[in-house]
Amino acid sequence: MSNYIVLVKQVPDVSRITDNAFDPESGTLIRSRLVNVINDLDTQAFAFASQMKKMSGDNNGKIVCLSMGPPMAEEVLKYCLARSADIGILLTDKALGGADTCATANPLAFAVRKIVAEIFNGSNDYYILAGMQSVDGDTAQVPAQVAEELQISCLAYVTGVEFKNNRFEFKRIISDGSQIASVRKLPAVITVAKYEFPLFASFTGTRKADKAQLIRWGVDDIKATHIGVKGSKTSVIRVFPPGKSTRKCQHVTDAAKLADIILKSYAESSGSSESGDSHLSKYALPANRKNLISRTFETTIKENEDYKILANKLVSLGITDISKIDDAIKERIIQDSNGHFHKKSLEDVLAGCALTQPTFTGEVWVAAEHSNGGISPATLELIGKARELADSLQTKVGVCLVGSGVEGLCNELIVSGADNIYLVEHNLLNVFDPCCYRKAMSDCISKYWPQIVLFAATPQGRMLAPMVAYRTGCGLTADCTSLDIRDSSRKGQIAILLQTRPALGGNVMASICTRNSKSQMATARPGVMKKLAPDYSRKGNILKQSIDLTESDLSLDIIKTEQSQGSADFSAPVIVSGGKGMQNRDSYDRLVNKLCNALTIKLKTTVNKGASRAAVEHGFIDRPYQVGQTGTSVGPKIYIALGISGAIQHMIGIANAETIIAVNTDPNAPIFKQCDYYLVGHVEEVVPLLTESLKMGT
Amino acid sequence: MEEKKYNQTNVLIVGAGPAGLACAIRLKHKNPHLDVCVIEKGLDLGNNNLSGAVLELESLKNLLDAACPGWEKTDDAKKILEQKIVADDFVFLTKKRSFGISPFIKLAKLLHLGTGQLIHQGDYSVSISMLTKWLGQIAKQMGVEVLCGFAASDILCDELQGNVNAVKLVDQGLDKDGNRQPNFVEGEKINADFFVLAEGNDGLISEKFIEKAGLKRRQQQLYSVGVKELYKVTPEQFKKFGSGRVVHSLGYPLWQPLIGPDMFGGGIIYAGNDDHISVGVIVGADWKYHNFNPQDALTLFKEHPFVKQLIEGGVVVEAGVKMIPEGGFCAIPKDPQTGSIGKNNCLILGDSAGFVNMLKIKGLHNAVNSGILAADAIVTNLDKPKLAARGYTELVNKSNIYKEMLSACTFRQTVAKFGPTFGIPLSVLGNLLPKFTVEKDYEAMTTASYDLKLPIDFDKNTFIALAGTHHREDQPSHLKIIDKEICRLKCTPKFKSPCITFCPAGVYETVSGEVKPANPSNCIHCKTCQRKCPFDNIRWTVPEGGGGPRYKRL
Repeated sequence: MSNYIVLVKQVPDVSRITDNAFDPESGTLIRSRLVNVINDLDTQAFAFASQMKKMSGDNNGKIVCLSMGPPMAEEVLKYCLARSADIGILLTDKALGGADTCATANPLAFAVRKIVAEIFNGSNDYYILAGMQSVDGDTAQVPAQVAEELQISCLAYVTGVEFKNNRFEFKRIISDGSQIASVRKLPAVITVAKYEFPLFASFTGTRKADKAQLIRWGVDDIKATHIGVKGSKTSVIRVFPPGKSTRKCQHVTDAAKLADIILKSYAESSGSSESGDSHLSKYALPANRKNLISRTFETTIKENEDYKILANKLVSLGITDISKIDDAIKERIIQDSNGHFHKKSLEDVLAGCALTQPTFTGEVWVAAEHSNGGISPATLELIGKARELADSLQTKVGVCLVGSGVEGLCNELIVSGADNIYLVEHNLLNVFDPCCYRKAMSDCISKYWPQIVLFAATPQGRMLAPMVAYRTGCGLTADCTSLDIRDSSRKGQIAILLQTRPALGGNVMASICTRNSKSQMATARPGVMKKLAPDYSRKGNILKQSIDLTESDLSLDIIKTEQSQGSADFSAPVIVSGGKGMQNRDSYDRLVNKLCNALTIKLKTTVNKGASRAAVEHGFIDRPYQVGQTGTSVGPKIYIALGISGAIQHMIGIANAETIIAVNTDPNAPIFKQCDYYLVGHVEEVVPLLTESLKMGT
Repeated sequence: MEEKKYNQTNVLIVGAGPAGLACAIRLKHKNPHLDVCVIEKGLDLGNNNLSGAVLELESLKNLLDAACPGWEKTDDAKKILEQKIVADDFVFLTKKRSFGISPFIKLAKLLHLGTGQLIHQGDYSVSISMLTKWLGQIAKQMGVEVLCGFAASDILCDELQGNVNAVKLVDQGLDKDGNRQPNFVEGEKINADFFVLAEGNDGLISEKFIEKAGLKRRQQQLYSVGVKELYKVTPEQFKKFGSGRVVHSLGYPLWQPLIGPDMFGGGIIYAGNDDHISVGVIVGADWKYHNFNPQDALTLFKEHPFVKQLIEGGVVVEAGVKMIPEGGFCAIPKDPQTGSIGKNNCLILGDSAGFVNMLKIKGLHNAVNSGILAADAIVTNLDKPKLAARGYTELVNKSNIYKEMLSACTFRQTVAKFGPTFGIPLSVLGNLLPKFTVEKDYEAMTTASYDLKLPIDFDKNTFIALAGTHHREDQPSHLKIIDKEICRLKCTPKFKSPCITFCPAGVYETVSGEVKPANPSNCIHCKTCQRKCPFDNIRWTVPEGGGGPRYKRL
């Protein structure tokens, strides 16, 4: 008899953002002004658990829903109770507030232990189900870290399940295709990436849920070890509005006009598809600066200003040596600053000036990902970024390469910019098993303690990174679009990694720093960083690591792996993508190819094709063509979305596109609110007209 | 704890509109121990509620003074009742001009003629969607179980007793072709001692019950279609229009005496909160023009110089369509034996019963009042459920609802019979006139055309987006064409498939030569198709709960 624990989260509804949700001054989205709902993927995970229970023919198994949040989060538990959950437990306590993923996973895992002891009578025959990620954080870290805390298996990105030979076989997405796998032992964490049949509320269940007493636990009940702000390993430094959120959202009524717009937008495009990566000046360590007062790399604009004001003041007073500033001078500065400084803040700033030593030491590492005997392009992009960071930090680029028979790949890493390759090989590492890989990588990191570790935000990287970070006790920031070295001198931190990422479905940007950690870890989306041109004259070292692994370390039985055919190219300046609205594979091929051809001829450029997740799921095209958060992030000059509704995961993946054009039959399609031009209509009718108009157009 | 039978309740109210919620609030007030459940097909309170709306405060006072003392001092109440009507204009529009006719109405009032009831001064211009939401919150606070997102598909009667046993909810989790998905759940049956049908106009369950229980109407129901858009205008523009002002119009673009078109109806322009102005057109569903769409009339109305200057520069923020039951007194469904509105333990309220006073063009106050009376009848007959409908009807007959309905008894039928040009003047004679029998709305369809030219085509897509309508895509169409051969052989050749034109949500399309409800997920639940298909060949059934428009302040 298996039991089920479903992790559910209350999130702001980022699909219904009203104008008054934005702070008029800063333009930042204010979370508290949004309507709260249950995280959509969690509803799917919950339905998935019910389906598993039903499939196994086991009526005695319990479904326990667990949520952590403020008291109002009980709504999400009522959602579950109205749909046949047996028990709802809310973990709520002021002390739990302000937690990052680590300080969320930790108390959740302790609550799971309590559930197992008190409700499951100690039985380890249970599954933990969770949505792959939440729509507000998008990190996909918590479930993997819960698994890590509990030291149990984790199977991520699951899309389907069958019950065969008395065990569950899960279908899931992997970096370059799909896989059928089952877990070797229970308990296990399963994260659901897509399950299309969320449950309906029942009348009796809803009435019962409205009257039900939820179980509430506080910190004293669970005795977690990392909670709240104190237990967190990352902190948000700054939240600001995203630069490119101002889409035009213009309604175009006929295809001919749309054709003109495409041609015009292409001609007017800025030419550089600068992809959200930093355009700030290159960081220099304090030791390499003109003087110690020169502080132009602070994490916030305000701090930069503080130092500028101070520097100007000191210059005008003719002071060059900070140690010679006495109380009288301080008094003078405070008086002259018109209230800009008070005593404490000035002393902090001055103390910061005295700092010269970087807070972190060690190399800048990249966790390599590989498949089919080749290094994943995302890894090479990260090496490009790591090279830049390492150069400003005057350190080396290391790559941690884990696998079996992969030594031959080292050279590619070196010519792409790596200095040291940390090679971990073992025959049990020949396929990606998260439990083995995270052990190999964590051991290696703990041996050398690089100051930065970068992972690709692919299905594999997003699974591995949170486990490694949790295991090594380090903070992790997911899906960064920008990574910069900065100082936070006043807080005594020099040369730290400022990790910037979108949050709340891309409606705000957040800059994050690592704390209480030996190493700073981040994942970055494929396509966001730029790889270096290979330099075949580069030399590097290969440092072989040993590892002890036995069969018992394996967590998964891989039953079948389906690699997608070939790999898709998204480097063209124009991408035409098809979604569920294409109806079938034939019309996808016909319509997308037709438009691609017309555009190729007219614009005299290459045009790539892509697809939404739904189109891939429905078999219109192969997995590598998937654009979006679980596929590839793209940043073309023009992105044309045909029959794509605009799910948030897709929109995040095209956030860097310069101009987005959408065609959809549904006038309420979310994509219309996040694109530049849209036409309401059926793709079957619009595309031929559009193609004709393009051929005719000037 | 004893496991409570959650599929059982004392009173089940179908429809969380003003009538149903008034009934629920009154029930809990009179007897807090009763289990009162209200089910609502909309996703949230007020989402499927649309009206003008002008409210006579008396009805709210009747309900809340006792049940919720001090209610009028709450912020919510103040917000909802912000627009007390201080200016009440009546105009007649010709194609280019407008004539104030308020003095005539005032004169009619002095002479105690029926049309004198059209005076709205002292009433309130409200958003029925907001009103409903607020009433629902009051009901919840009082312990009523208000369950949104639950759609009823059938009502089950006990053949022997004649009582209603249960209401069945809609099956959920079917795919487009009707196959069961993994999340399929069969509609639950909800048992209750009393059933209150307060679904609004042309209620699915109400009509099923009327048929099953053998209730009869002296004359069949007549309908109107109301199309409304809510404008947000600048504060200056709003000031120019005037806070607390309502305008009603007759004439263009529905009725141009002698030269046509010749349709019953009119326009409304109401002041709302926060610089909002409601603009709408109501048109009798007995229009004869095969190519007519009420939204076209709205477009022409808005383009009329008199209206245009009032909403200049405004932006439409919400839009919707509903039908109004206008048959009045003679169209109230009653039990032939006892005369009860409903039967035994099942009561019919508000618009479902047809309590719209056509002289006032208002039904909201009657809806609330009927809710109160239904509750009172249930409470006095707690141990005799069978007598509830009769008790309710006795209360109705002694109430203002009856008086009002009787006074407006022949108005709408007179107009339907003689057309507005002659019918409206004739109706002044009021109840001296004989009770005409009139044809059903859909039978009025002819091959005649509506000839007024539109400056721009109506944009249905934007309209439905503004109605916020939403349904799970992959479910069977809830709109059914009974016999597609009728469409092919009769309707399309003769009338060119009017449903394609008049459906305000563009649900119907010709797909490979066949007229189909091709976009059921666009449906905004107005039910015009069910009442206006010239061959009575369309049926509106209920989609999965939570579907339909999502009105917030209509």
